[in-house]
Amino acid sequence: MSDAPEVVRFERVAKRYPMGDSVVDALVDASFTIREGEFVSILGPSGSGKSTLMHLVGFLDSPTEGEIFFEGRPLASISPDQRACIRAEKIGFVFQAFNLLPRMDVRANTRLPLTYHPVPPINAAARVDRALELVDMMPRADHRPGQLSGGQRQRVAIARALVNEPRILLADEPTGNLDSRTAGTILDLFTELNRQGRTIVLVTHDANVAARSRRQIHVMDGRIIRDA
Amino acid sequence: MNLFSGILNGLGEIWAHKLRSFLTVLCVLLGVMSLVLTTGFMEGFFQSWKISLAEKGGLEKISGQAKRVGKVREPFVALSSGYALDDERALRRALPDDVNVSPEVDLKVELKRRGKDYYRRVQGVKNDILAANRYEIAKGRAFSDLEIRDSADVIILGTDAVKNLFDPDAPVLGEFVELNGRPFRVIGVLKHYESLYGDYNWLDFKNRIAFIPVTTALAKINGNRQLTWLNVRTTEVDRLGATMDTIENVLASQHRLVDDFEVLSNEEQLDSFAQTRANFVYFGGGIAGISLLVSGIGIMNLMLASINERVREIGIRKALGATGRNIFSQFIAEAVALSMLGGVLGVGVAVGAITALQELLPPGRQPVLSGSAFVLGFAFSVGVGVLAGLYPALQASKLDPIEALRYE
Repeated sequence: MSDAPEVVRFERVAKRYPMGDSVVDALVDASFTIREGEFVSILGPSGSGKSTLMHLVGFLDSPTEGEIFFEGRPLASISPDQRACIRAEKIGFVFQAFNLLPRMDVRANTRLPLTYHPVPPINAAARVDRALELVDMMPRADHRPGQLSGGQRQRVAIARALVNEPRILLADEPTGNLDSRTAGTILDLFTELNRQGRTIVLVTHDANVAARSRRQIHVMDGRIIRDA
Repeated sequence: MNLFSGILNGLGEIWAHKLRSFLTVLCVLLGVMSLVLTTGFMEGFFQSWKISLAEKGGLEKISGQAKRVGKVREPFVALSSGYALDDERALRRALPDDVNVSPEVDLKVELKRRGKDYYRRVQGVKNDILAANRYEIAKGRAFSDLEIRDSADVIILGTDAVKNLFDPDAPVLGEFVELNGRPFRVIGVLKHYESLYGDYNWLDFKNRIAFIPVTTALAKINGNRQLTWLNVRTTEVDRLGATMDTIENVLASQHRLVDDFEVLSNEEQLDSFAQTRANFVYFGGGIAGISLLVSGIGIMNLMLASINERVREIGIRKALGATGRNIFSQFIAEAVALSMLGGVLGVGVAVGAITALQELLPPGRQPVLSGSAFVLGFAFSVGVGVLAGLYPALQASKLDPIEALRYE
């Protein structure tokens, strides 16, 4: 384990959902630390709790038990509005379904997180261009998502996640909707981004995808069964 | 995200759902239009009423006219000689010198001159009518005392009568016109009155008139010695009440307590003016309010549908760092953009409709373009947008991002 500064730390975190009369344990007793520069994949079959884990890391959800720290600050001490600010400023999301807004062109989609940035950067347009160049989507900047292929859409989504220059990039099954060749290029992109120093957390059910990362957290039935 | 970019974004959403947005904007448009039109009609109506009230003598005028006697007193009607010149003399004795007492007889007669004829109101009057009913003589002179005493055949014409009986630029003063076959010499011409509203002159009633001495009217034309009006004009509004009491007492005594006269001040007319106006404001405001309510319901409906379709978008925006407040203002801005669009178009259509109606409708029924109505209509539409957007926007801002992202 390196001594790079920690980005996210979980301490005995549990998440339970009420489901009718019973309660479902989505996550039990999860403890781990993600440090700057790491490329971690969270691996597990569907329903194993990996999406819950992802939502917790991304502050979209709060734990039922335990404590989550972001850059050393306990999440419980941060108000919902501040969490939104942190999402806008320091976290980049990449989704399985790309989740681009269909009525906006590529440039506007990429710019979206900067709209919610607490202090919108003066050089917002330059940042958008840089992010698009990084994923090699500059030639399509004026297209709508509907005019793009799956791989291209995911590239735009990655550009959008990078535009705010986040501390941590969260990717939820980013290759789930792509054919294997396109998936390969997207994963190459992640590897390259990690090589440039980005912290990446990648959630997947596919061991081959997880194999690209340097560290793998295996989740099964809401428990972390292996962290290596 | 500031308000302007929010509204711009909202306009984009409106454009993305053209038909649906069109229908909603139509609702707002009709609501605002009905508000502006109703106000326009009301203003037009009250404007003309107000002008004619002032030109009929203003607040200082007290008008006396005959009244039907109640059934119980009918057998005693013969005791009274009705409105007659004697009443005028009695009033002059009872009232201060600076008060005008104007006996008037309305005649329906035909004026003729060299084959041209003119059938309008001719009044038998004394010079007091000029002060009491606000007339001015532009050319020539008023009646002399001698002409009044001798029932002389002289006439003062309004400009409309001149226009109809004389060639343009022909000499008028000293010429003769025929009234019921009897020649009358023109001694004066009244000032031309004009208060234009489109093509319509509100004050034209002051031009369509001719005056002859009241004595001539009673003795030679009417035959029944009855006055139609006995109007009084005080010099100060403060003296109105006292003067009215005096008039009522004098007339009661003159008419031997037969209740066949009625004394009204313009103040009462003004009161009823204000009363009617208030009623109209409530009534018209109520109708316009209902139509705006309907448009508000339309906006709310559209916003709810739109949010339902865009749950996923809301989830994405929240995941990317939008706060509840961001989402709230986005949807409020959309609702406001919708209603503003409707408001602007509504005001525009109303302006067009009012302009067209001014051409089409007969004088006196035309609506007026009123700036306050536009401001009111526009402000109301924006207000309705905010109110109607409130609930849907609040719903949207409260959406759980995880649920929203999972939503298909």
